[in-house]
Amino acid sequence: MTLTTMIQKMSEGLGNTLSIFFLTLLFSLPLGMIVALLRMCKVKPVRAATTAVISILRGTPLMLQLLAVTYGPFYLFGASVARNKLIPVVIAYSINYAAYFAEIYRAGIESMPVGQYEAAAVLGYGRAETFFRIILPQVIKRVVPPVTNEVITLVKDTSIAFAVAYQEMFTIGKQIANSQSSFTPFLIAGVFYFVFNALVAWIMARIEKKLDYYR
Amino acid sequence: MKILEINHIRKSFGALEVLNDISLSVEEGQVVSIIGPSGSGKSTLLRCATLLETMDGGDLIYLGKYAARDQDGKSVYASAKELKSIRSSFGLVFQNFNLFPHYSVLRNVSEAPTLIQKRPKEQVVAEARELLRKMGLSDKEDAYPYQLSGGQQQRVSIARALAMKPQILFFDEPTSALDPELTGEILRVIRDLAAEHMTMVIVTHEMSFARDVSDHVIFMDGGVIVEEGNPYNIINNPKQERTIQFLSRFN
Amino acid sequence: MKKFAALLIALTLVLSTAAMAETVTFKMGIDPEFPPFSYMGDSGEYEGYDVEMCKAVCDILGWEQEIVPINWDTKLVQLNANEVDCIWSGLTIDVLDPEAYTISMPYINNTQVVVVKADSGIASTADLAGKVVGVQLGTSADILISEGGDQAELGATFQEIVRTESYNVAFTELAAGSVDAVAMDSSIAATLIGDSTDYAVLDETLAAEEYGICFRKADEDMCLQVQRAFATLVEDGTYKSLAEKYGIDVASLCMLEEAA
Repeated sequence: MTLTTMIQKMSEGLGNTLSIFFLTLLFSLPLGMIVALLRMCKVKPVRAATTAVISILRGTPLMLQLLAVTYGPFYLFGASVARNKLIPVVIAYSINYAAYFAEIYRAGIESMPVGQYEAAAVLGYGRAETFFRIILPQVIKRVVPPVTNEVITLVKDTSIAFAVAYQEMFTIGKQIANSQSSFTPFLIAGVFYFVFNALVAWIMARIEKKLDYYR
Repeated sequence: MKILEINHIRKSFGALEVLNDISLSVEEGQVVSIIGPSGSGKSTLLRCATLLETMDGGDLIYLGKYAARDQDGKSVYASAKELKSIRSSFGLVFQNFNLFPHYSVLRNVSEAPTLIQKRPKEQVVAEARELLRKMGLSDKEDAYPYQLSGGQQQRVSIARALAMKPQILFFDEPTSALDPELTGEILRVIRDLAAEHMTMVIVTHEMSFARDVSDHVIFMDGGVIVEEGNPYNIINNPKQERTIQFLSRFN
Repeated sequence: MKKFAALLIALTLVLSTAAMAETVTFKMGIDPEFPPFSYMGDSGEYEGYDVEMCKAVCDILGWEQEIVPINWDTKLVQLNANEVDCIWSGLTIDVLDPEAYTISMPYINNTQVVVVKADSGIASTADLAGKVVGVQLGTSADILISEGGDQAELGATFQEIVRTESYNVAFTELAAGSVDAVAMDSSIAATLIGDSTDYAVLDETLAAEEYGICFRKADEDMCLQVQRAFATLVEDGTYKSLAEKYGIDVASLCMLEEAA
C-alpha cells in the first residue's frame, strides 16, 4: 500500500474521529452544567444520586461504558443495536465527559465569592438572572484551563471507539498496520493527533486571551 | 413619612442569639448611624433589613408595606413578588464593594435599572453617566473594576446603588476595607448625599463622621440597643457604662 | 376487457419482479486485521480469501455483500445484536457452542503452530518451558494454552503468556525479542513469515482445528443457502484458485478431499 493510500484511508477515518470529538463537546459541555447544578441541588436525594452517578462515571473505564451503552440495551431488552455506531459512541462519550465537566463547573461555581450573589440579590436579580448574567460568565473564565485539559484528553480518547468497531482514524490505522505488517500508520496517527491537539490548544489559548479583559 | 420600620427583631444562629428585640424606625431624609463593637449584631441587623438574612421574629416594614410580619412570635415573609417590589425601595453598599468584575464601570451601574426595573436604556445610561460624574469617575466608565483603586470601586458601588433610585440606602462599614488615606473620599460622598437629604442607615466605625453626618446614632452591643439618640450626646456624652467603654477606645 | 386483463397481468408481473429485485443485503462480519483471509488491501478496500469467497457466494445467490469490520473480542455479541449476519473471517469453529449458533461445514483445516526465531535453539514444544510465549487475546491459540484449554499443561510450563491485541503486535514482540515464541494459526504464520528465513515453525503442532462460518441460531436457512453456493465454488475451482492467489496451502482445503 502506498503512503498516499494510507494517509487517504486514515483521513477518511479522521472524519469519524472529528464527528466523535465535536458532537461529544456539543452535548457534554452543556450537559455537564446540568449535572453540576443537580450535584449542588438543595434536595438531598437528588444530590446524593447525582454524586453516585458521577463517581461511577469517573470510576469506571470509558471503554466499559462504551460497551455498556452499545450492547447493554440489547442484552437487557433485546433492543437492536444502532447500525450507525456514532450514536452509541457519542452518547457514551457525552455522558462520561459530562461527569468530568460537571466537577470542573462545580469547583468553579463554588469558588465564586458569596458577595457576588448578595450584590445581585440586593439589586433585585432573580435566581436565573444571577446565574446566567453574574455567576456563569465568571465561572466560564475560571474553568477554561481545566476544560482545556479535558478537551485534549478527549482528542486522544476518540481512539477508544475501536472497542465497538467504529471506524475512526486509529481503528483504520490499526487495520492497515496489521494488514501490511507496517508501523507507518501509527506514525501517521501520532502526527494527526499531535496536529489536532496543537490546534485545540491554540484555540483554547485564544479563548483564554479573549476572557482576559477582566480579572 | 416613615421609610423603614423594624419592630422587635429577633435572630439566632443556632444557640447564639445575635439580635434580641431590636426596634428602629427611619424617617424620610433621616441619617441613622449604628455603632458598636464587632460581633454586636449591627451587620446582621443590616443584613436582615436588606433581606440577605431571614429574621426569626419581628416585623420589617418599608413605606408601610410589610416585608415580614410577626405572627405568634415568628416572622412570616411576604410573597416573592411583593418582596421583589420591596427590594427596589432600598439599596446596599457593601464593605467589600462586590462589584461585578466582568462588567465595565458603566454596565455595573446601568444593568440593573434596565434589566430589573425595565427602564429605557438611553435614559438609564444618561443617569448613570451623571452619577459617575458626581462621583468623579467620568473618565472611568469603560474601565473594569480591577483597574480601579479601592476608593474608586466603592464610589462605583455607591453609584450602582443610587442608579436604582432607592428610597433608602444602607452602608455596611463602607470604609473598613479601604486604606486610611482613601476613606476620606468615601465619607465626602456620603456627606454630599446627606446634604441632598438622602435617607441612609450607616454601620460605621468612624465615630466623628457618625457624629457629624447623622441625625440619630444607635449604639449596639451583645445583640441589643444599649443606647441611642442625638449624635452629640451619644458620642461625646454617653450615659451607659458599655458605651463609655467602647468609645474610650476611639479617643 | 381483455386489454384491461392484459394490463393487469403485466402490472402484476412488473410488481412481482420488482419485489424479487429487492436484493438481500448480506452483512459479512470480518476481523479486518486477519491476513490473508480478511484485511485492508493495498487499495484501501477490504480483501482476502474469505472476502472474495463471500463475494462469489453472494453473486451466485443474488445477494449484495456488505463487509462489516468488527471487533474480534466482541464478535459474538455483534452477531447476536444483528450487526452482522455471519462471522466469516478465518473463524475457528471447534470452540463454538453448536447449541447456541448455526455453524457451517468446515472449509479449511487449520493447525495451531508455534513460531520461533530460526536461531533461538527452540526445536520442540518441550523447549518452551520457562520461555515467554505470545498469543493474540481471545484467539483459539489463546484458549488452547490457557487454563482449561487442551494444551493448558504445556501452557503451564511457560514462564509467561503475553496476550496482545493483534497478531501483528505479537509478531513484532517476537522480532524485538520480548517474547520467545508466538502461538498462532498456521495460515497466518505463513503470511507473516513470508519469504523471511529468520523464523521457523515448530514441527509439533498444538492442535488441529477447522475454519467455518458462524450464523445466528435462527438463521439455518441462510446457512444452507450459503453452503450450497459454496459447494458450487468448490466444483468450479474458485475455492482452490483463490486459495492459491492468497498463498494458502492447498493441502488445508478440506472440501477438496470430500469432493474427491
